[in-house]
Amino acid sequence: MIALNEDLLASAIDLAQKLGAEYAEARLHGTKEIGCLLRNGIPEPATMGDFYGIGIRIIHSGSLAFSATNDISKENVKGIVESSVKRAKASSSLLKHRILLSEEKAIRANWRAEEKKSVENVGFEELLELLKDIDLLIKDGRRGVAFQNRLLLSSILLEEKIYMDSNGAVIRSRVPRVGFHSYITTSYQGKIATITIPSGYSQLGESGGWEVIDRLKIFDYVQKEAENLALVVKNEQKPPRETMDVVLGPQVVGIIAHESAGHPGEADRILGREAAQAGESYLKRNDLGIKIGSKEAYVSDDPTIPHSNGFYLYDDEGVPARKRSLIEAGVIHEFLHNRATAREFGISSNGSSRAVSYDREPIVRMGNTFVEPSDYSLEELLEDIKFGVYIKSFMEWNIDDKRFNQRYVGLEAYSIEKGEVKGMVKNPVLEITTPKLWSSVDARGKEIEFVSATCGKGDPMQGAPVWTGGPNMRLRGIRIGGR
Amino acid sequence: MKIMEMADLALKEALKLNVTDVSAISAQVNEKMIRFSNNSITVNKQIKNLGLFLYIAKDGKRITGATSNPSVEEIKKFTSNLVKACEALSPSPDYAPLPKGEFQYHPHEIYDKELAEDETRMIEFVKEAIDAGLRAGAERVSGSLTASEEELAILTSGNASGEDRKTLILLNVRAFANREASGHGLSCATRLRDFDPSEAGNKAGEYAKASMNPGSWEEGIYDLITMPTVTADIIQHVGASASAFAVDAGLSFLADKIGQRVGAENFTLRDYGMIEGGLGGRGFDDEGLPTRENTIIEKGILKGYLHNNTTSKKFNTTPTGNAGIIDPHPWNLVVDSGTMSIEDLTKEVKKGILVTNNWYTRFQNLRTGEYSTIPRDAAFFVENGKIKHSVAGLRISDSIPRQLANILYISKERRWVEWWEVSTPTLAPAILIKDVTITKALE
Repeated sequence: MIALNEDLLASAIDLAQKLGAEYAEARLHGTKEIGCLLRNGIPEPATMGDFYGIGIRIIHSGSLAFSATNDISKENVKGIVESSVKRAKASSSLLKHRILLSEEKAIRANWRAEEKKSVENVGFEELLELLKDIDLLIKDGRRGVAFQNRLLLSSILLEEKIYMDSNGAVIRSRVPRVGFHSYITTSYQGKIATITIPSGYSQLGESGGWEVIDRLKIFDYVQKEAENLALVVKNEQKPPRETMDVVLGPQVVGIIAHESAGHPGEADRILGREAAQAGESYLKRNDLGIKIGSKEAYVSDDPTIPHSNGFYLYDDEGVPARKRSLIEAGVIHEFLHNRATAREFGISSNGSSRAVSYDREPIVRMGNTFVEPSDYSLEELLEDIKFGVYIKSFMEWNIDDKRFNQRYVGLEAYSIEKGEVKGMVKNPVLEITTPKLWSSVDARGKEIEFVSATCGKGDPMQGAPVWTGGPNMRLRGIRIGGR
Repeated sequence: MKIMEMADLALKEALKLNVTDVSAISAQVNEKMIRFSNNSITVNKQIKNLGLFLYIAKDGKRITGATSNPSVEEIKKFTSNLVKACEALSPSPDYAPLPKGEFQYHPHEIYDKELAEDETRMIEFVKEAIDAGLRAGAERVSGSLTASEEELAILTSGNASGEDRKTLILLNVRAFANREASGHGLSCATRLRDFDPSEAGNKAGEYAKASMNPGSWEEGIYDLITMPTVTADIIQHVGASASAFAVDAGLSFLADKIGQRVGAENFTLRDYGMIEGGLGGRGFDDEGLPTRENTIIEKGILKGYLHNNTTSKKFNTTPTGNAGIIDPHPWNLVVDSGTMSIEDLTKEVKKGILVTNNWYTRFQNLRTGEYSTIPRDAAFFVENGKIKHSVAGLRISDSIPRQLANILYISKERRWVEWWEVSTPTLAPAILIKDVTITKALE
């Protein structure tokens, strides 16, 4: 447990107000992390991090300043508050838009993620043993395919903080997270490929204690993926390049939900605040209610899902988290807001403001973004497809900075003929615009799956823990390309 | 506590606990940042951090730790916890003792006192950049300006002892002439006298204006001119692939190619610990070895990888001063300049595309270098040596090894690049590459 000193925060806020700030918030924020790295069965140096400090935001004369330090002596904190006010005042000479915040109820709360087996009782031994056991499982390769390089990573991160603001909010929180990911280099008849498990550079991860390892069923997952990898690497069948029906697996659907519905719905991007870094959005501020997809397109973001990697109950502006419906029946339904963007839109914040450490300002972020499930089994999604592809997982992907033109390159992928999954096809490419993609959705599966990921945004960069997910999803009449 | 005292305390505490190797690096970083969008400052930031990084080895067991708790008590506690955690690990056959010295480090050449102490001019610089962008034809300008000062101290059980300090000023400007037409400009320097916010703002504004009214284009094979910002993004992945750890872990498209041709004859890539203007300058690496000049690729031939002490032992060679305890990495990547002006590069193109900026580089296969990346901001269709019109919605979908092999010409003009998308400081020219696959959204 890290020391969370309420008095220090209160005195910082008090001083900022005495110096004329119309708003002040302070956050003591600690992250402790341990990680292990096993390369071909040999341990690389283990890693341990212990980061703790204070982040302060103030608004003075409509101008925003953020300051952070890990020297939390009273004298130093007083100094950075004074500096914040001075810098905010100086910025006001080049301020075209005063920063105002939405009115929100001041909350006093103490929340934590469920943690049955405390991460503080888990050490490097457990993390390393986990990796050694996984390595034993896969080191001999599969089906004649050698796994010549195996880089396995496991980690525990414990995040604790106390937030206070000049509205009177005081919120304490504790979220542990456990995660695993890996890089496997396969070799088969002179062909070499480096592929990740899970695919697409994502992770298996949840919030919670060491019980997360049991919930994730890592051994079953890796075993199954290793079998699939061998088949993927052996396959040389090129995909058909024509218009066809496509079924996308949960991992592909999850990254699409994140990139093509979540990011463009971030209100700070829509207003241009991230223009020079993560970019803007194809959506404009008056685009709520426009039709972007078919009546089967439903995308949500929900930080309150228990055990999720992006779990939180109150954001870093003290606003309660809740589920956000981003696309509903193909219509843009809601944007993600912090208090500043909410005020611009004349509404209340929906609790999307997050900071990943004490020295990062809170900005608009996703939590867990996913396509809503419906009621189709995979067989039902496939049954009336005469000719198509089933793209179950991916590696390469990217999207432009307006979130309009995107590409997902299949990893495990199959042809579909007369309603049945047939042989594998190599690297089918879905390169498509956002409206075409969501307009082509005509059915969704009933089983939803998630993987964890680290979402990059902000300047300086902030890698935020999220889940991406969804069910299998069917798209009609899509042009597929090849690598 | 001063940073050398922090390193000294941690080193002594660790040695008291009978470890075999310790590297203690302490750092004081003071970073100021102004972010702006729509011609207005959005936030004014200051981040002051004091941190300690430790590497400890005992009986072949190895661990690294980083803490931002800088008090005497916390350093003692952290070091003790780290040693205890190390003792519980498994020994590694890859263990190699830290280098033993007395070592001599480069003098500090990248510290600008005026930049470190100036508290007042950042807002003026932002205003200059915005005004220049607007004058050049933009209707709104966004970006970030960062000025930082970093002091480092190192002590190791191998008798390394050194201090380092540097200053840096980085301006990233993006201008918009309308909702769709944007341009990008950078000014990156270690000294104020090399910093030019007006030039960066003007470039962003000019590109934004020039990229209005994009013309049509078809996906296919084009000769591609990458301007320095795009070159730097591609080259940083070559630099990452040159890490011996990446090679050993299967993450490198340069694996098993020492002595082989990996690029065109006119392509030479080096890494420098210290170089005039080098944004990532360091006098010592994380194991205490002096940094130096390393040739990665010379006239298209792969000459060597970047090593720390562990990887050099495995590869039966000498360390290159690029530790990273786990993953050796470049400090300042430098592409040798060519002989042509950028204008002359364009004249060589019969049917091609010129790209000024990019983002979102992702690999289908790290081992083979098959990847795609998305040009953003201004891009142009070039025909018979002339820029015809701007183009939008492009994607470079190719392989980095193929592109290195297909380099035709390199410009003599080079620029230092470091920004949100390019984290490895790189002195990059414009490059003309033949036969690059450019794709677009099919519908």
